[in-house]
Amino acid sequence: MHNLGFALEGAWKVLAASLILGAGLPALFALGIRSLAWGAGGDAEVHETGVTGPRPRPIGNVVGWILFAVVVLGVLLGITFIVASGFGKALSFEHIFPTIVDK
Amino acid sequence: MTETTVILALVVVTALGFDFTNGFHDTANAMATSIATGALRPKVAVALSGILNLIGAFLSVEVALTVSNAVVRIQNSDGTPKDSLTSDGGTALLLIVLAGLVGGIVWNLLTWLLGLPSSSSHALFGGLIGATIAGLGWAGVNWNGDGSKLDGVIGKVILPALMSPVIAGVVAAVGTWVIYKVTIGVAQRFTDNGFRWGQIGSASLVSLAHGTNDAQKTMGVITLALIATGDWTDTKNIPFWVKAACALAIALGTYLGGWRIIRTLGKGLVEIAPPQGMAAESASAAVILASSHLGFALSTTHVATGSILGSGVGKPGAQVRWRVAGRMVAAWLITLPSAAVVGAIMWYIGNLLGGGLAGAVVVFVLLLAAAGYMYWHSRKTPVDHNNVNDEWDEQPSPRVPAGTAS
Repeated sequence: MHNLGFALEGAWKVLAASLILGAGLPALFALGIRSLAWGAGGDAEVHETGVTGPRPRPIGNVVGWILFAVVVLGVLLGITFIVASGFGKALSFEHIFPTIVDK
Repeated sequence: MTETTVILALVVVTALGFDFTNGFHDTANAMATSIATGALRPKVAVALSGILNLIGAFLSVEVALTVSNAVVRIQNSDGTPKDSLTSDGGTALLLIVLAGLVGGIVWNLLTWLLGLPSSSSHALFGGLIGATIAGLGWAGVNWNGDGSKLDGVIGKVILPALMSPVIAGVVAAVGTWVIYKVTIGVAQRFTDNGFRWGQIGSASLVSLAHGTNDAQKTMGVITLALIATGDWTDTKNIPFWVKAACALAIALGTYLGGWRIIRTLGKGLVEIAPPQGMAAESASAAVILASSHLGFALSTTHVATGSILGSGVGKPGAQVRWRVAGRMVAAWLITLPSAAVVGAIMWYIGNLLGGGLAGAVVVFVLLLAAAGYMYWHSRKTPVDHNNVNDEWDEQPSPRVPAGTAS
């Protein structure tokens, strides 16, 4: 069953890549939302009843939007990948930084 | 106009028909979660998905001519059809392709009627395998590859089908679990609004990837038929009209929306909340992209279903309807053999009538009759954008399948 070997070999790579992109990016996105809520203060986060929520914290907004930017970059990378493979190119991660190369 | 030209025209029309069913069968993969959570209104969701499929199909300029090589031996390695099949002007090959496509369409329509998200790629491959077995015998099928790489029916179709839903499910479950942990204590208006956008973005990515992956298969099949009859000779390129027609067919199909399947995936498996929807679609997009990068062929349907199940497993306290999941898995298991049986029967019928024009016309008419019957049957319990999100009835009446319960 040589095919099983090839498939398992591919499977763990897909799993690793997907965990980073498919679960990692949503986690960052969630952190971004958490950060925005923390930044907004008031009733955005659960706090003791009967007390006014904390004051707005601008730094939370900044961190939140930086996190969203990272997620958007990740998505753009995904789109670049689709388009590049359509034109017979491939994304190479050889130099860590993604570059478009011929297949 | 020769006899072969008429058969060729029938093959092209049937192939576009398959592409169309491929579109509406798979709208759910990308958009079921967004529709179920209300992130997008149903009509807007299918329109967005259709447009992205159209764009995606045009982006896939890579030659997909050898798409069938992984499973059947009707082509040489450079994509040209086997000489033995084109000696009579190509009708032998056309009949196999036509019968295979009919097998794929019939199975796609039947599973749509039952509201089951089965794999369109499996239906196409199954139909082609069945027609090839009928036409060329068992040796005409590439069962196991030659041992040098992942290949053959086992390597390209069966193993990925077993593994991809599990991988997608694990990724979605981890994603969902982390998202809920991270956002504990954040007011719901914050999370829902934020994840709504995350959901739309990730679902769009799935639609785009679907257009590039699936439209290619039909483009390859049509071009193969054109080469068989000598109407096209370039094995490095696909005629532009083929690309445009396939892109339009899959986009229109997507826009029409397979509401029955959307309902099953969006409401039947798991009650989906926005964070889960985003985790599921992100997992689907990541798995589809990562596997095509690594040359690991798979079905978007299996991935999307696995992801949605995973998002139910990962949310603390969420309910997963394993019975519905079981029905789906059963449908997956029989998709390939069932489409193969239909494909084989169609080939025998066509061959019995001489394998020429008469046979092709009868096969085509049979397809129309089957499609018409199933459409008529679907009108009895219609599911459309108005009732797609109705409450899921846990105990469907025995006669009406779960996907159509109102």
